[in-house]
Amino acid sequence: MQPNAYDIKSKIGVIFQDVAVFEELTTYENIDYFCGLYIKDKNKRKQYIEDAIELVGLGEFKKFYPKQLSGGLLRRLNIACGIAHKPQLIFLDEPTVAVDPQSRNNILDGIKKLRDQGATIVYTTHYMEEVEIICDRVIIIDKGHVIASGTTDELKEIAKIEEKVTVEVNNLEQKYIEEIKKLKNIHEVEYDSNILLVAYNKGKNNLVELIEYLKKESIKYNRIYLDRPTLNDVFLELTGKELRD
Amino acid sequence: MLFHNFKYFLKTLFGNKMLIFWTFAFPIILGTFFKMAFSNIESSETLDIINIAIIENEDFKNNEIFTETFKTLGDEKNEDRLFNIKYTTEEDARDLLENDEIDGFMILIEKEPKVVFKESGINQTIFKYVIEEITGTSNIINNLAENEIKKEMMSGNYNVDYEKIYKKIIDVAQNQEVKIKDVSSNNLSYTMIEFYTLIAMACLYGGILGMVAINQNLANMSNNGKRISIAPTSKGKIILSSIFASYITQLIGVLLLFLYTIFVLKVDYGTNLPLIVLLAMAGSFAGLSMGVAIATLLKANENLKTGIVISVTMLGCFLSGMMGITMKYIIDKNVPIINKINPASMITDGFYSLYYYDTLDRYYFNVVSLLVFAFIMIAISIIQLRKQKYEKL
Repeated sequence: MQPNAYDIKSKIGVIFQDVAVFEELTTYENIDYFCGLYIKDKNKRKQYIEDAIELVGLGEFKKFYPKQLSGGLLRRLNIACGIAHKPQLIFLDEPTVAVDPQSRNNILDGIKKLRDQGATIVYTTHYMEEVEIICDRVIIIDKGHVIASGTTDELKEIAKIEEKVTVEVNNLEQKYIEEIKKLKNIHEVEYDSNILLVAYNKGKNNLVELIEYLKKESIKYNRIYLDRPTLNDVFLELTGKELRD
Repeated sequence: MLFHNFKYFLKTLFGNKMLIFWTFAFPIILGTFFKMAFSNIESSETLDIINIAIIENEDFKNNEIFTETFKTLGDEKNEDRLFNIKYTTEEDARDLLENDEIDGFMILIEKEPKVVFKESGINQTIFKYVIEEITGTSNIINNLAENEIKKEMMSGNYNVDYEKIYKKIIDVAQNQEVKIKDVSSNNLSYTMIEFYTLIAMACLYGGILGMVAINQNLANMSNNGKRISIAPTSKGKIILSSIFASYITQLIGVLLLFLYTIFVLKVDYGTNLPLIVLLAMAGSFAGLSMGVAIATLLKANENLKTGIVISVTMLGCFLSGMMGITMKYIIDKNVPIINKINPASMITDGFYSLYYYDTLDRYYFNVVSLLVFAFIMIAISIIQLRKQKYEKL
């Protein structure tokens, strides 16, 4: 894109991972300044600013300076500065990093509203639960390469995890773990901190078979429950579990 | 768009404590210290009549322009005379110079004056300037006489009316009299020198404001710059209005310094105040453009750039005589090019010239030099800014 592609630029909003606001301007002035780079009409701009403030819930903090805002409020101001001009395409780069649950909830609600208003949102995050809440399509990028894309359901299929069973069991001997690994449809078995995680790659009623095995071996357990795989499981499955730099 | 950015950038500048300190507070604090440090010696301080020697050889005796001029400038009946002159031989003059009884001597060989000093200083500079002025005037008179006689002969008049030519030349000579001011009645005190370099420093601190104007708008320098660079707005307009806001802030800072020095510290800038303000405006523009250039050319973080701007400013002020006026003359003598490109030196030299010289030639030369310096810096910055493109933000 050329620097003077103003028609395209005017339709794009970017919320950077690092907060980009002027410390010397109030909440309202910051939004007005950045919105003013897009919207010249003062009355229209005034309305847009009010809309943005309402969207991120900063109504009580219009006259506050950024240093007077908490981390969560600052993130919300950062978002308001990026979307006040009502862009059609919005890039959000990890907007909820280091944010309290209430602010995160507010931010996600705001993003859903923007989506519902018709904006296309490209959302970058490491929080998979956020992706499940707000994204229609997901792209997993690892080391600069796209390794998977699709809806959350499509990705879960790619990951080949159909079911996940969690068992709370004390002091499980290694020989039992090895035997469980030999059961039908097993994808992966992990045992850590008295929690046994069994992932199945296909099939149904795997839970029943596992319970029968535990009964047969007289292994006592506290709780046992079945989960659908999360996007987090998919992500770890696709990108590997080893620690990253 | 220009006004929108100008308004908000001005607001951010006035809200930035670091900038307010360096632009407004620091020069005022330093000025207060100067006043406290120099006020005691100020009252007893006068610039002495300059002791010089003239080698009274045949060439000097036969050169009416030199003899008459020095007779006037060294007239003992005049308490406000510029020079205390000893007419002597070269050998004696060298002894006097060696014993520090004179600041320098002049020897005229044919029509060419040669000035000999032992060291550099204000007195030596004044003496040298006077000699240059006399030589210039002398050349004008000689050329005029030659041309007038030639003209008469070309027109077929071989009986040249020497009296008419003499009158004409005298008229010119009277209009071309030595332009050096009688400084003894209008002393430039050390305090004033310090205040002039202080103003030069305050002007050049505009560099920090210029640097901020660039850093806030460049995507590779600040998060705000990233956000601004993706907006559908001309980068040139944004930077231009930011620089203008910086310049206004800088001028307000210099104005406050003037007001503080005039009304609180009781510094008397004399009748030249409008010219001093004009020079300060040109100096501020030069300082600002220097900051813009440093911010554009250097690939470093904001703190390092600020350090460099402050260091360059302080070095420039040091070389132009802030920590001792002798430094300016040492540089003038040994590496004159440094003072020619040092904006601090241009500013202080412009101030001195208002005090020392009757004409404003040298003053305007410095004003123009500052503007040329500023435009070169801006041109370099524009070229550099046009090259910048970002693959990613």
